Amino acid sequence: MGEVARGGGCCPPMDLFRSEPMQLIQLIIPMESAHCTVSYLGDLGLLQFKDLNSEKSPFQRTYAAQIKRCGEMARKLRFFKEQMFKAGVSPKGSTTQSDVNIDDIEIKLTEIESELTEMNANGEKLQRTYNELVEYKLVLQKAGDFFHSAQSRAIEQQREYESRQLSGESMEAPLLQDQELSGDSSKPVKLGFLAGLVPREKSMAFERILFRATRGNVFLRQTAVEDPVTDPVSGEKTEKNVFVVFYAGEKVKAKILKICDAFGANRYPFAEELGKQAQMISEVSGKLAELKTTIDAGLSHRVNLLENIGTQFEQWNLLVRKEKSIHHTLNMLSLDVTKKCLVAEGWSPVFATHQVQDALKRAAKDSNSQVSAILQVLHTRESPPTYFRTNKFTSSYQGIIDSYGVAKYQEANPTVFTVVTFPFLFAVMFGDWGHGICLLLAALYFIIREKKLSSQKLDDITAMTFGGRYVIFLMSLFSIYTGLIYNEFFSVPFELFGPSAYVCRDDSCRDSTTIGLIKAGPTYPFGVDPVWHGTRSELPFLNSLKMKMSILLGVAQMNLGIIMSYCNAKFFKNNVNVWFQFIPQVIFLNSLFGYLSLLIIVKWCTGSQADLYHVMIYMFLSPTDDLGENQLFAGQKNVQLVLLLLAGVAVPWMLLPKPFILKKQHEARHGDESYAPLPNTEESLQVESNHDSHGHGEFEFSEIFVHQLIHTIEFVLGAVSNTASYLRLWALSLAHSELSSVFYEKVLLMAWGYNNVVILIVGLIVFIFATVGVLLVMETLSAFLHALRLHWVEYQNKFYEGDGYLFLPFSFSLLDEEDEML
Amino acid sequence: MGFVVTSLIFLLIGIIACLSTRICFNKGPSANLFHLTLVLTSTICCWMMWAIVYLAQMNPLIVPILSDGE
Repeated sequence: MGEVARGGGCCPPMDLFRSEPMQLIQLIIPMESAHCTVSYLGDLGLLQFKDLNSEKSPFQRTYAAQIKRCGEMARKLRFFKEQMFKAGVSPKGSTTQSDVNIDDIEIKLTEIESELTEMNANGEKLQRTYNELVEYKLVLQKAGDFFHSAQSRAIEQQREYESRQLSGESMEAPLLQDQELSGDSSKPVKLGFLAGLVPREKSMAFERILFRATRGNVFLRQTAVEDPVTDPVSGEKTEKNVFVVFYAGEKVKAKILKICDAFGANRYPFAEELGKQAQMISEVSGKLAELKTTIDAGLSHRVNLLENIGTQFEQWNLLVRKEKSIHHTLNMLSLDVTKKCLVAEGWSPVFATHQVQDALKRAAKDSNSQVSAILQVLHTRESPPTYFRTNKFTSSYQGIIDSYGVAKYQEANPTVFTVVTFPFLFAVMFGDWGHGICLLLAALYFIIREKKLSSQKLDDITAMTFGGRYVIFLMSLFSIYTGLIYNEFFSVPFELFGPSAYVCRDDSCRDSTTIGLIKAGPTYPFGVDPVWHGTRSELPFLNSLKMKMSILLGVAQMNLGIIMSYCNAKFFKNNVNVWFQFIPQVIFLNSLFGYLSLLIIVKWCTGSQADLYHVMIYMFLSPTDDLGENQLFAGQKNVQLVLLLLAGVAVPWMLLPKPFILKKQHEARHGDESYAPLPNTEESLQVESNHDSHGHGEFEFSEIFVHQLIHTIEFVLGAVSNTASYLRLWALSLAHSELSSVFYEKVLLMAWGYNNVVILIVGLIVFIFATVGVLLVMETLSAFLHALRLHWVEYQNKFYEGDGYLFLPFSFSLLDEEDEML
Repeated sequence: MGFVVTSLIFLLIGIIACLSTRICFNKGPSANLFHLTLVLTSTICCWMMWAIVYLAQMNPLIVPILSDGE
């Protein structure tokens, strides 16, 4: 296939113009060196393996067990990562690439995992005990306070009572009091009590339920704990109340216990005697301190372990991912009948043949295999994948094309022109050299910090901008250029290239606001004359200019697209497409819109007053009529008649011959094919696949004809609608300049007019934000999208098929990117 | 400066740009052809843009009419 690319040209093949010539190769790899071979090929990254076992499910394949093992290891690594993240240990990029065996790693990972889980379980248990003890201590302290205060009050009451008895019965003393008190003391009721902690938000409900369940035969005391307490069960910090509930009777106790459980209130044993309480407090405090040291020791041990993992994590991770991908690839190979070899098939660029062979040899040597793997090139009718060798500059442009559709194998690649025309058309809509400089600074920022930014993880929008930094760079350069042409710097014109060509008609300049200025000197040499800015006739002039410019640029680009279709037809040796597609298309487009472009230029050069709309419309409506005052050059009528005739002929020329010729070719080939050997040259295949997209076998004439009919109609209508579509260049450029002049005049100049520093500063801030937000961000986006559309639709539909598929080699370097994306 | 002179300047700039890319980024014939295409396309685009604007102002049908405020 390489011969086709290089054959019949005076020039060397252009980079990027055609995708790399590919070949289908077959590798026969001895079983013992298979792993090593695939690993080396993954390092090389220039071979796309075909799945030869597509009928088998993942579990039926040869290396399913190994993949499962790798998956298990990956799970462990994820577990470590999670643990490290929780502990705040970050994996360090280790550069030591020691030769570690995957089996050793597996054992090590298992060991570490069990150690870590055990450590976690122990730590959790200890932590729980610790939290319980903390709560217990709190209960002891708070509840102790209740009892203490209650007791002191009781003693006080007792004392008061006694003193009253001593002073003798006064008249005021209630009669029953004595009996009551004496009755109480004579028949003491044994009250039970429970102490514990209840979450604060539940405490009200807790109290109410307790009261209702026991019909009020309960006494509850609560105190808030100031600091939130860690709950031993859930491990979360919650605000809690210490409660003590007094009750009478076993039945009530059972009820209270149930309620406590329902409310998640933890109960703790509590002694009534003060001495015992103090003793317990000191005991608990001792235990707490002990536990604390144990937990701390455990934690530091765990951090040590995690840090240890962290130093090797990246290496292990890489190795496990590589191993997994190797086995995935091995699963795609088919087992030889003798079960001693594996057979691989895959696509590889022709230029990589030597590298692949070299990798095979090295693998055979390193794995001490008796025989080296065998490489042979297969011939196939299948269409190879598309592979462009891009660099950091061209890859983003190729990305723009690929997101529309991946080029068919070896099809002319629009990227070679898109690299320039895309930023250029963008700049036609974004012409302002002030804004261009801002954009340039942003692009330069990304380009200068390229190394640093490419290594770190960016958020979506920044990553997108960063990826397109070279597109933005060229876009900004072209915007500066078109800004100079439009003579706009934040919508302010400058007389950079000499004085204006226009002067007043006389010294008094009375007519300048009614009839206007007059052109006295030579035309302004570069770009739009600065005098136009702010005049009443600015818009009519710029509209006419930009509209005509859009059509001229559009016709030029569409012609470029048609020329690309010629390159394709020549490359695939498809003369039918040259004669019955390319030539009539050129004639049709140029006899109508090429002619319009010519008229525009003639009109500018001669300064004629002719109405071009009128000329174009009446060229169709009544071509034989005299043009009258709309005549631009002598013999225009006859030229128009000829052009109209040519356009009229071009349509059936496009439509009719091709299907018939294809039919004839097919019949001729079909007649041959029954006796001749199968054609093994690629060229005939290419021709065939270009002729009828429905492949080999049946030739449906009606289908081909309808296809051609659609194609013709699309082109004829498209010539009109696509030309009209280029007017978006005018519309967006107009919108941009109008918006920027509004911001300049209505914000900045108005603020300036107040002669007040504060207003000026506010105006300046508003101006900056409007410029950045609306003009630099939104306008950039919209101009970008419109430029994108002009390339995808108006330009590429002239030649681009875009039905290929990307070359996705098995490569370890791509593996990393994929994984990071996930 | 007339139309032809400036066009020649564009041509000159284009040739200089082609030569300098050839000298600065000589990376084999295929890459050089690609670079040449890029430089030529951008020169032609820039020239077209300039030429269109220049031609449009050569024989003006509309003249600038100053705003009343001025």
